[in-house]
Amino acid sequence: MKTMKFASVYALLVALFFPAMAFAQTDPGVRSNTGVNAGQPFASVSANANDLAFFQTGLGQFNEHQTVTGDNPGLGPRFNLDSCGACHSQPAAGGTSPASGVFPNVGPNPQSQVIANGVVNGSTNTIPFFVVANGPVREARFPFFFNANGTANTNAPNGGVEDLFTVTGRADAGACNLPQPSFNAARAVNNIIFRIPTPTFGTGLMANIDDSTLLANHAAQANNGLGIGGTFNHNGSDGTISRFGWKAQNKSLMIFAGEAYNVEMGISNELFTQDRPLPGEDQLGSGLPANCLNLAGIGYPEDTTHSDGTSASTVTSDTALFNVFMQFLDQPTPSTTSPGGATSIANGRRLFSAVGCAVCHTPSLTTQPSKLTAGLGNATANLFSDIEIHHMGATLVDNVSQGGAGGDQFRTAPLWGLGQRIFFLHDGRCSNLLCAIEAHDSNGGEASTVEAIFDQNLTPSQQQDILNFLRSL
Amino acid sequence: MQTTLSRCFVLLGLSVSLLARAQGTPQSGGDFANNPEAHKLPSETILVKGAWSSASDSETPVPEGGRVANKVFLNQYFGLTYTLSPDWTERYTGPPPSDNGYYVLAQIRPADTFKGTSRGIILITAQDLFFTPAGNALELMNFTKDKLNADYKVEQPPALVRIGNHSFVRLDYVSPVAELHWHALATQIRCHMVQFVFTSRDTKLMESLIQEMGRMTLPVEAGPISGRGGGEVPVCIKDYAQGENVLERIDPLIAERRFNPIPVRIIIDKEGKVKHVHFLSAFPDQAKAITDSLFQWRFRPYLRDGKRVEVETGIMFGRAPRQPTSSSAEAVNE
Repeated sequence: MKTMKFASVYALLVALFFPAMAFAQTDPGVRSNTGVNAGQPFASVSANANDLAFFQTGLGQFNEHQTVTGDNPGLGPRFNLDSCGACHSQPAAGGTSPASGVFPNVGPNPQSQVIANGVVNGSTNTIPFFVVANGPVREARFPFFFNANGTANTNAPNGGVEDLFTVTGRADAGACNLPQPSFNAARAVNNIIFRIPTPTFGTGLMANIDDSTLLANHAAQANNGLGIGGTFNHNGSDGTISRFGWKAQNKSLMIFAGEAYNVEMGISNELFTQDRPLPGEDQLGSGLPANCLNLAGIGYPEDTTHSDGTSASTVTSDTALFNVFMQFLDQPTPSTTSPGGATSIANGRRLFSAVGCAVCHTPSLTTQPSKLTAGLGNATANLFSDIEIHHMGATLVDNVSQGGAGGDQFRTAPLWGLGQRIFFLHDGRCSNLLCAIEAHDSNGGEASTVEAIFDQNLTPSQQQDILNFLRSL
Repeated sequence: MQTTLSRCFVLLGLSVSLLARAQGTPQSGGDFANNPEAHKLPSETILVKGAWSSASDSETPVPEGGRVANKVFLNQYFGLTYTLSPDWTERYTGPPPSDNGYYVLAQIRPADTFKGTSRGIILITAQDLFFTPAGNALELMNFTKDKLNADYKVEQPPALVRIGNHSFVRLDYVSPVAELHWHALATQIRCHMVQFVFTSRDTKLMESLIQEMGRMTLPVEAGPISGRGGGEVPVCIKDYAQGENVLERIDPLIAERRFNPIPVRIIIDKEGKVKHVHFLSAFPDQAKAITDSLFQWRFRPYLRDGKRVEVETGIMFGRAPRQPTSSSAEAVNE
């Protein structure tokens, strides 16, 4: 009798709670059953032998590991890693931060391996606290310079990249002796923020959207009844809309490539022609010490156009090849069936728009005619971004100003390829979509109302449809 | 042997320290800090602002100055008092005004103590009509309806309604896939469309919340096609700072090109001098330069019923000037 009673109560409890458990929404995780759906060139590039040669040479350079001297010279004296492709690798070359044990198993955070791989000398460099094997690739910035007493000087905004590693102690670095920035001290005073690599798939399409298209989209979203404003970051030289980087601070892919080569790898090039000291080294009036300059022994800039090249791709500088590689990278291919099935994905797509996510994450924009390759011209870029910068509020603020973007303003992150990304938000703080969505709800943020609609006014089943849709991208 | 070894260590230690000094021991400042006990920066605080709202004085109310306190949303600029339903609260404040004049005044949602079965959101916004093509709140609501994308169906096109003693224009629409309804009620105050947007899947809840709006206080001027200031507040006139209304004008000297729109509201006193400057969005250096110049401008005093009155108007800096609209002609004729 007691057993019967227990069974009834248990059955009742199961009946009551199982539906809720069954519909508790979860991030389906990195999509692994559809192969790698990014990293290919446009079909029009593949169909043109010259363009394809350019693309493949660019890919090779993108993945090449640089050294201080030797065949691929110029690394350092400060750097975050020795190769573009090491950081931009998930799920394919051109992507973003990888992780071990996650499809397609690119490998552990490469920054965590620099001592083991001999990229830096372990007796002169340490792995900073925010770089861990199963975490994202990161660059660090100090929002403010330090006062002499170690406090952050809020009257002296910094925000420049503080490279993680130095060449000091490497066999090819001579007598150059540089300390790493004070990451632990910066942590102690809460004066450090992080950025992860932005994926570059489809960025050629983004580069080829005319300002008029962006402005028309902006005007169409005005008075949206969801609390969303938004504006554009502008290039300081010509006043046009800039579009690359976490705050849309870079105008073009060429500038994006040139700056990254200089800032992330320490390689001077035709766009950024000097070796880069830390922001404070210039601020204190010293710059880099003489014995850390021209370490490659080849003069400046270290990356140049090659007058002795024998073909277009061998004449071209590394920086320009990176640009070509990114321009020719097609947008990721979404799945129509995975995860969750076609019905759920289609429903999630409609819900994504209906609750207001698509006001900022504009599903698609049309490019202008292209001289580069047919695939870039008059194309539908399914980027899920308006390329505007929006106030994201106190939860996501990094207190770094770039161009016209203030401390809490970020470019709407393009969502194409989201299904095969591991880390989310500018600093990679989330590896679960629900965490990333939740972070949109914030004091001073434009997305709070939309996030609250998602969080409090959709059913778990509807939320799951949106998550499935996002992981289908 | 031991002594020799000790001497070696001492020498080695000295050499290392001298070498380190020669290579430039990290100094405090710049990218280096050596005092981990130093005072921490506050977390989740916006310290570095880009273009932001500001005003030439802190006494004159500004649109974004409203606050929820003791369960009441009070906005002095709009003369608006709105008592929240029990168990509803403002969890987060809104962003700063946008550079096209869109304000989030308050975001109200159920508190943790809320016992109801269905939830909702009340968003209170304002759109500055000086910086939109629309002439009044009714026009702007019609624009909103026309721009609704295919995800929504209009349940009730913009229509004039009365709640308590107040008139609004009301637009209802629904997202069938989300099973969510939006009921938007707008009125015009001081040349802004002030809008209450209710979102929920429970239309009964929404109607009860809307009926509670009857208890709110609004200024006498409020209405879907009125709301042009006056009475206790300045008369608001679009594009007043143009043509023959401007008697003296000193253009601001903005040293750095930033390419951002700079929408500015000014209040002109009865003598034709600028008494208050409100930037919806500007960098501090822009705000200073423009404020310094605007305080030197002189306007033709504005007469209403033969008496001089204060005028509030908008100017967009940072962009090519717009052609005057019909509203400015109306000001001249009054």
